[in-house]
Parts: sequence; C-alpha cells; structure tokens
Amino acid sequence: MLAGLGAAGVLAVLIWKRNLASRVTFLRFVIQLVAFAAIFYIFSYSAFIPMLYELIVLFALTIFLGRFFCGWLCPLGLILDVEILARRALKVRYRILPDKLNIILHKGRYLIALVFLLTPVILWLLDPQEIMVSPLMAQLLAGHYRPYGILLDPMIPFIVPWSNTATLNVAGVNLSYPYTQNIITFTGAEFGLIFAVAFVGATLVGGFLVRRVWCRFCPTGCSIASVNQFKGLGGVPLLHIDKDEEKCTKCGVCKRVCPLQVNEVYDQKGGKIKTSQCMLCARCVEMCPYEGTLKLKLGSKTVFKSRNWLDPSNSE
Amino acid sequence: MKNETVERKYLPEMPRKEMDELRNTVKTASQKIIADNIEHMKKADPHRPEAMKYFDEMADLFGKRQKEIAAEKEKGKKVIGYLCLFAPTELIMAADAIPVRVNSGWYDTSKLGDRVVPVEVCPVIRSTIGAKMIELSPFLEQSDALISVLTCDGMTKLGEILGDTKIVWGMNIPRIKDSTQSLRFWNDEIKHMKTQIETFTGNKITRKNLKEAIETSHRATKAFRRLQELRKGNPVIMGRDAMLVNQAYTWDDKKRWTEKTEVLCDELEKRAQRKDWVCSPDTPRVMVTGTPMFWPDNWKLPTLVEEGNPQGIIVADEQCSGERILNDPIGVDEWSMDDMLNAMSERYLMASTCPCFTSKDGNEDRINWLLNKVKEWKIQGVIYYVVRGCMLYAMEYTRVKKALDKINVPVYYLDTEYTREDVGQMKTRVEAFLEMLNARIDI
Repeated sequence: MLAGLGAAGVLAVLIWKRNLASRVTFLRFVIQLVAFAAIFYIFSYSAFIPMLYELIVLFALTIFLGRFFCGWLCPLGLILDVEILARRALKVRYRILPDKLNIILHKGRYLIALVFLLTPVILWLLDPQEIMVSPLMAQLLAGHYRPYGILLDPMIPFIVPWSNTATLNVAGVNLSYPYTQNIITFTGAEFGLIFAVAFVGATLVGGFLVRRVWCRFCPTGCSIASVNQFKGLGGVPLLHIDKDEEKCTKCGVCKRVCPLQVNEVYDQKGGKIKTSQCMLCARCVEMCPYEGTLKLKLGSKTVFKSRNWLDPSNSE
Repeated sequence: MKNETVERKYLPEMPRKEMDELRNTVKTASQKIIADNIEHMKKADPHRPEAMKYFDEMADLFGKRQKEIAAEKEKGKKVIGYLCLFAPTELIMAADAIPVRVNSGWYDTSKLGDRVVPVEVCPVIRSTIGAKMIELSPFLEQSDALISVLTCDGMTKLGEILGDTKIVWGMNIPRIKDSTQSLRFWNDEIKHMKTQIETFTGNKITRKNLKEAIETSHRATKAFRRLQELRKGNPVIMGRDAMLVNQAYTWDDKKRWTEKTEVLCDELEKRAQRKDWVCSPDTPRVMVTGTPMFWPDNWKLPTLVEEGNPQGIIVADEQCSGERILNDPIGVDEWSMDDMLNAMSERYLMASTCPCFTSKDGNEDRINWLLNKVKEWKIQGVIYYVVRGCMLYAMEYTRVKKALDKINVPVYYLDTEYTREDVGQMKTRVEAFLEMLNARIDI
C-alpha cells in the first residue's frame, strides 16, 4: 500500500509539472485516494462508533469547508470520477441534463433525505407494536432501519465487503454499495434485492453517461449543504469560490467544465458564489482562462486562483 | 473560383485595362504608405526591438507573405479567407488550409466602393468592395473561399457582394450571446462549417488535427498575453508596433508568428531591465477602442497619438483588429471531438466583446472588460474611435462613457472617415485631448 501511495505521489508530481490545466484535478484525485484508504482503515475495524465519529467530524468540517467533502474526500465521488476517466479514455461524450431537471433533482434531494429519515418514525407511529416499546431516539439511532446510515453511505462503496452493516449479497458475493442496505430494509426482503441491484446499475451507468450524476441529489450532500443554509451564517462555508466580475468576459468555460452543471458561477455577478449545488471541486477555477477571475478562498485568504494555463495540455 | 460567366449581381463589370491601371496606381501608393508608416514607427522609437524587423517584413502585404501563400497554393493547399473574427480559424488550420483575414484598410479603394454601395455605409465595407473591384488585396485574391459571419449589417451584405466572384459561406451568428438556444444554434453552425471545410479542402478534420490546431492557437494566445503583460508596466514598446504585431497574426503563419512574438517578448523583457523606455514614463497612457483599424492605410490615429505634441502612448486597445484577435483561448475540457467543437463555439460566441451582441444585461461584458483594462493597464484616457457608418460602436458610446465617467477616466469620441483629408483636424483634436490628460497627471 505504501508503494502504491508513493507511485501515486510520483505520478502526481510528474503530471503537476507537465500540465497546468489539470493540476488541481490530479491533486484532487490523490486526496481522494488517500481519503479512500483512510476511510477503508476506519471501517475495517468496527462500524457503529467510527460512523458516529465520522458524522460528527463531517458536520464540524462542513461549517468551515462547505461541501468540500463531496468534491475531495467522498469515496462514492471517487468511483464516479473514475467513471469519468474511463469515459474520457473511451472518447464517449457525456450527456447533459437539462437545467430544469438538474434543479428539480437538486431540490428533490431534500425530499429523498426526508423520506429516508422519516420512514422509520412514520412506520413506528403507524404500528408501534412492531418494535416493542423502543423510544423514538433509540429507534432512530439503533433501530432496525438505521436512518442515519444514509448520511454516511457514500463512504462505503466496495470498501467493507465483509462488514454486515451495508452488505449487498449478490450470488453469494458480498458487495457493499451506498444505500443498497437501506433500500433492502425499506422495501422489504422480496423486492429489496431487485431494487438494490437496479439502483447499483442505474448509478453506475448514469455516472458513466452523466458526470457525477448521484452527487446532484445525494442526501449526504444535502445534509452537508443544509448546515450552510441557516440564516445569519453568511460567513459559512469559509471555503468558497469567489468571482471577480470585471475580469470576467463570460466565456462560459466555467459552466461547461463543471461536473455538476452549476450555473451560478457563470450567472452570478461577482462576489461569493452562493449555491449549495457546488461541491468545490475547483474545476472551474482551474480552467478559467483569465488570471485571477475565479478564486477558491478560505475565509478571506486565497487558496488558489485561476491562472494563465495556456501551455498546451496533453491530458486525455 | 466561380465561373466568370455567371452574372454579377452587385459588382460592376470593369474593363480589364482600367482595372489594371487602377490597381497599379493604388498598389504603388499603398507600398509607399507601408514603407512610410514603418519609417515613422522606426523613427518614433530609436531603440526599436530587433525582432520587429520580422513584423515589418510581414507588414508588407504585397511582399513575402503573399509569395509564401502563393507557393503553398501551388502545392495544393487551399486558402480560406474570413471577414470577421468569429470564423473558426482552428477548423481551417485543422483541415490543412491557410486562414487569412481579408478586411481591407485601403483609403483609396473606399472611393471605388462608393460605386456599389452608398457613402453612408461603413468605410471598411466600402474599402473591401473597392479592393475586390480592382483585385488589389493579395489575400482576398488568393483565398479560394470566404467565411462571412453575419455580425453587423455591413458584414452581412459584404459577404453577399463578394459572392459575385468568390465562394462565400455565411455563418449566422446569434445576436444574443448568453442564452442556451443561441449557443446550440451557433454550435450547429460551427459543425456545419466543419463539414463544409472538409468537403471543400478534401481533408478530413480529425480529432488529432483539431487538437493540434487548438494547441497552436493556445500557444499564440500565450505569446500574445505575454506581450500584453509587458505593456502593463512602463512603456517598452510603441503601441503601433504592438498593434502591428497583433494584426500580423491574421495573415501570418501561426506557428512562426508565435515564435517571433516570443523572441520579441524576450527582447522587451531585457529592455525593461535596462529601463530603456520608449518614451518618458509620465507620458499619458491611452487606450483605443471602437472600430477596427486595418493596416496599412488606416494607421493615422495611432500615428497621431504617438507622434503628437504632447505625446501619448497606446498601451492597450479593445478592437477586433487588435487585442480581441487572440485574447480568449479555447477552454477544452475533455478533448473529444464534440467537446472541442462545443468549446470552440463557446469561445467564439460568448467570450467576444463585439458590440454586435446583446445579452440579458445588455453588452455588459464589454463594459466590464473595458473597466478591467483601464484598471490593469493603468489607462489615463480612452479614445473611442469610430468611423462614420459604424453604427454599433457609435451607439454603444454613451454607455461606455457613463461607465468610464464613474471611475473618472476621460473618454474622447473621435469620428472619422477613410480619408487623409482630416488628418490636420484630427491632429488638433487628439493633441487637445492629450494636453488635457497631461494636465490631469500634473495635478
């Protein structure tokens, strides 16, 4: 594993030197891989306690970093990014979702999250005998449905095949894939597996054709974003993208390269980009051809800004 | 070349002899003007960079480059001319053809153009028509086909008029630049142009070729930006020299141009280290915006500014004959054919600050871009140059003035014609403006 990390490091340095236009993307890949390994390490011990810790750390980070997790750490995001790479290698063009659908999906994620979170409560209210006399809190936390699990699920794709917290058993092989266990428990044993397999297929194929398709309505992303939407917390997230309207010629590059098809970077007139759709992957900042127009800022400090990337790029 | 027997719809039939006579007269005069302009540029800057010699050579429209293109044509290469910057030159390059811009800057031919179109029409159009009538412009004559982008009214009809003797492909550009449907439409136009160029040249535009072409123009943009960056500090190059360099790109070989510009930049960097300025650093820094100024004849304004008394220095311009040629690169995300074409259509449509566009907030990009330029290049005064008949630029003046008034930068509206008669009067006007700028600096 160390050798692998070293090789990845060397590769990253080489690409860093060669190519200005995809530096950040490669840095992001390296961080994603490291995060993948770290999360693998945590989950390979036990399930429940690290999950809670993760949840706490995640929400604490959110205040400072916004949806940084989605763009830079999420293992499911890594899978979707690898799919993007595969598609690029096969020279297949991505499909673009219509803006309207994209926004409906974006708003709909709250609904999805609510359904997941509230179903156990509603079921318990309808039929309190089912799970004896467990109080509501215990039902939420340790009950049969584990609704909090959906907030952590993007972290477990193909990582913990042996753990029984999120296992999808297909033809004797245990796979772990986000949300599948939830789907199985929620739909019941008879249809559960079919739904789960269909879900896996749909996300994988969808992720191949449409960039980062799941992230557009991911319930975890929604929970992260909701922290940033309290009124009076205008300062959060500290990590954000900032635009200089005067330097912008509205060439539209930012809009096109965005894997989530966020329009706000293009539409908004300067200042801090206010949208919970953006996952701060900084692809737009990296590709913006006007020096200093887009900036990734932490508080008032610039982490990284758009530059003159005009060295011909050899990335494929 | 179209069949000569086809009836001409616009252009008059001229006897061959008269045509030749006229051409020779204008050509001789023009060669003299080119030499004269270059002489002036040399005199203005005693330590003119060595690398400018190459561009002087290129500046002779009837000289080296014409012969080169002729030689390439003999080898079977096609030449595709274009009238507006929105023509996708990368596609032309990818199809192994030579792109040249064919707009004309000859004063004398604009009088000839009067025979075809009324005097009220923009002189750039009239001059190009006149040049076609007497077959003066070497690049226009050499081009096998023309891409005419329907930007302003003049350009729309100019394509039609030139269609009398040339194959002309129109490209319909949407006038609203920030809506998805315009972009889709323009993208289709670009795709159509690709097939048209492919069938015409017989070369297929492959992914690899197009990528190479885009990278060539990236390198050129990089060199161009380096030159612009050097103009931000104390003046190390005369504005006219830089304008000529930029404009030479439209007819020069793109790779060679990039190399030579890099050499020029190296030299200028050394010059900046020596603190060998072309004029006193207190000289008012002027930006020119408005109607394009085409080499060779329409060079009177930069000459007047930089040789006036008091002197000014042009450190930036916002014209489609100048910095707009190369300012915007093509931002390709995935290097697949579709993505490259998409990126190209976005670059040509959305990044442009041509006043023929409008958008949700009017043509605000242009205003923002001007404000940014004023700030970054420390501009002290803006000359808004308009030739009579150039409606779009003239109409946008009020808005530009309001925006620049807010940041307290004086703008001067200078309207003129394709003629040498008003040089004296223009001199007075320009010098008065420069005098005023000087006074402001003293305070």
